[in-house]
Amino acid sequence: MNKLAQKYLRPSQIPTKACHGCGIGMIENWLLQAIDELGLKQDDVVFGTGIGCVGRQTFATWGGDNFGATHGRAVAVATGLKLAQPDKKFLIVVGDGDAASIGTSHLIHAARRNLGVTVICEDNMGYESTGGQFSPTTPAGYVTNSSPYGMVEPPFDPCDVVQAAGATFVAETTATQWHQTVKIVKKALQNDGFSFVHVRFPCNENFGAYALGTRDTLKNLEWIYEHTQGRKADGSETDFTWETGIKHDASNSRPEFSRLLRDLGERVRARMAAGDGQGAH
Amino acid sequence: MALFKTEKKAPRGPAGKWDVVVSEEMCKACGFCLHICPTDVFGWRKVTNRLGWFPIYTAHEEHCVGCMLCYQICPDFCIDVAPRAGGMN
Amino acid sequence: MPTATLTVRDGLVAPWAEWERRYTTGRRLLEAGTYALTEGAIAAGCRVFAGYPITPATDIAEYMSRRLPQVGGYYMQCEDELAGMHTCAGASLGGLKAMTATSGPGYTLMHDAYGWALTNEIPMVVVDAMRVGPISGITGAPGQGEFYVARYCTHGGNFETIVLSPSSVQEAFWLTIDAFNLAERFRTPVTILTDQVVSDMWEDLFIPADYDGLDFVVPRKSNLMMPFFPVGSAALDVPPNIIGRGTGVCVSAYTHTEEGYDIEEMEAQWAQTFRLVNKIRFHRAELTRYETVGMEDAEVVAVAYGANARTVKTAVLEARRRGLRAGFVRPITLWPFLDELFERDCHYVVCELNYDGQLVREVMRAAPDKRKVHFMGKSAELHTVAEVTTALQGVSGSGRIPELPYIWTEVR
Repeated sequence: MNKLAQKYLRPSQIPTKACHGCGIGMIENWLLQAIDELGLKQDDVVFGTGIGCVGRQTFATWGGDNFGATHGRAVAVATGLKLAQPDKKFLIVVGDGDAASIGTSHLIHAARRNLGVTVICEDNMGYESTGGQFSPTTPAGYVTNSSPYGMVEPPFDPCDVVQAAGATFVAETTATQWHQTVKIVKKALQNDGFSFVHVRFPCNENFGAYALGTRDTLKNLEWIYEHTQGRKADGSETDFTWETGIKHDASNSRPEFSRLLRDLGERVRARMAAGDGQGAH
Repeated sequence: MALFKTEKKAPRGPAGKWDVVVSEEMCKACGFCLHICPTDVFGWRKVTNRLGWFPIYTAHEEHCVGCMLCYQICPDFCIDVAPRAGGMN
Repeated sequence: MPTATLTVRDGLVAPWAEWERRYTTGRRLLEAGTYALTEGAIAAGCRVFAGYPITPATDIAEYMSRRLPQVGGYYMQCEDELAGMHTCAGASLGGLKAMTATSGPGYTLMHDAYGWALTNEIPMVVVDAMRVGPISGITGAPGQGEFYVARYCTHGGNFETIVLSPSSVQEAFWLTIDAFNLAERFRTPVTILTDQVVSDMWEDLFIPADYDGLDFVVPRKSNLMMPFFPVGSAALDVPPNIIGRGTGVCVSAYTHTEEGYDIEEMEAQWAQTFRLVNKIRFHRAELTRYETVGMEDAEVVAVAYGANARTVKTAVLEARRRGLRAGFVRPITLWPFLDELFERDCHYVVCELNYDGQLVREVMRAAPDKRKVHFMGKSAELHTVAEVTTALQGVSGSGRIPELPYIWTEVR
């Protein structure tokens, strides 16, 4: 186990349950680097997950407090936790199903409220723990186990959605951009407000096997790399390219949600103390 | 430009000043480290670990140039690269 | 017309019978049931309310939005009931007592969060102001269709729930404090089933002057050591787990070990189920809350809970006035079901506000002779005193309820 994993993770839960060649672990490793560079301790961070590959594989790996919510509701649970524990950093690691499908409403409203949590959407472009069905982020036309003739629905970019909803930090990276991801996650954690980082990573066993036609771990990660760069190894253009990098950075430009509620309470109680009629119930 | 290098180069510059530790019992043999390494540090074990994979091991530590690519790309927290005790001299 | 003297024993078995005697300084108000539920929660130390407006529970949200900032709490209006109950569960995990309130359609959405809170033993209170269904039904009319839904409030089985139901505004106040106490002691979500009538009705309400002086309120404690989840044990009064205290607790949707780690083993499932079921079953005596009238000599007993228990009780008293040996049972704890209330071998007339028959099925199971259990279902309006009196007389005379308009008596 590397030194950061020894410092922050829970030895009994490592190795994780992830398949070989799964990118969840490398992203978690980069999260640890960002946390370490910010000088945060285990107790400073509450680690929340959802359901699915990302939920199951990362749940309880964090050495501090963990919660694994029901499918899609990690942000809703974090909303309540943030009210009760406003001084903690909340790192909510969810998958594309959690963030972009079943839990999108919670994501949108947390962004609107500028809730002080950092949501890392680890996107393997499908529902892989249920055997490889398409998700709202599966690229159009790709074959999965529930789109055997190619996915007919257009995908959507969750970054656009949360940015439109008012998130104060939005960024996208992929599993081949380690330095960039560490830098971005650091910035996301420094934002006292809603941060959203979308990270695409390879699934070897399902998305790789059915959409890309191979279980070769190297080819699957190479596919991610090509679509990050927009160029294949032979120099030709890829069918599409992900725009990575910081998409929106308005860090600390709006008051954080739990602070708003605390300030409201303080105003109300000050008015009551001054003998304002608002105090009567 | 491909991510993974098929041809390994001989190390240039200050090589051999790094400790490369692979936790072989945790390795799931994805092969990322072996193929992203610009030199030729890693090799496959011929015996499986407890997880049932043929793990990676540090075959040629003296080739390591300390680029940390293997550390960054390992999905199972297996690899640690650190300057060798005794400094960089 | 001479009035017969009533010589029946009128008994309430509930902790607030004693509380009412001890706390007598305070204010008398004319207030709504929703107000009583809100004040009860504040008195019990509730500091987070997260919910979604829905008739007839909206007033609780409105009162909460005014009251919580005054006492250092947080009111949140969520995007849906799913978020509402999850946010409450999160706040409770963070160390604050929390409550949400909803009605049938929203209650259906909460099943997801119920399972999560039950499995992870998160104390909280859910108020369900029942209305006529299915689904939106009649928004402003009372129903009692969630008797079983509140028991089986999530999928998957392997759990027991605590469900309480008040029948007056004053009782709603005390019962809410009691619900918070039970939630803390049993480490479980507790459901309060009210209905449109109890929620919206205005009545005399006594509120103690000083909430801090209520010594029976169970304060929030924090479990700082293993086992975080005493699986395989039915122990009561285990302090709840709090996230953010550096204990390294894990809370998840999966079957868990003592540490909270997810595990896929039959033995672990057994141990977790033992905990979730038996922490309530083994301590049923702590959960006994009911009201009876005239059970010492009753030949025919009317059974009802919630709002329509009020008219049914009046009808029983009227029947006694007419010379019938009538009795009355009002279970306040609906779940776990109080089988011991139905041990007497006599006729039971179960009055509830639904046509399909829910409470009556449990009474049939618990009563010595299920052929003597009669059903009197009505929907969207309370039973009238005349209807119930006629039914009691009918059962007493001919062993069956006479035909009455808009009353169903079939249970199949």
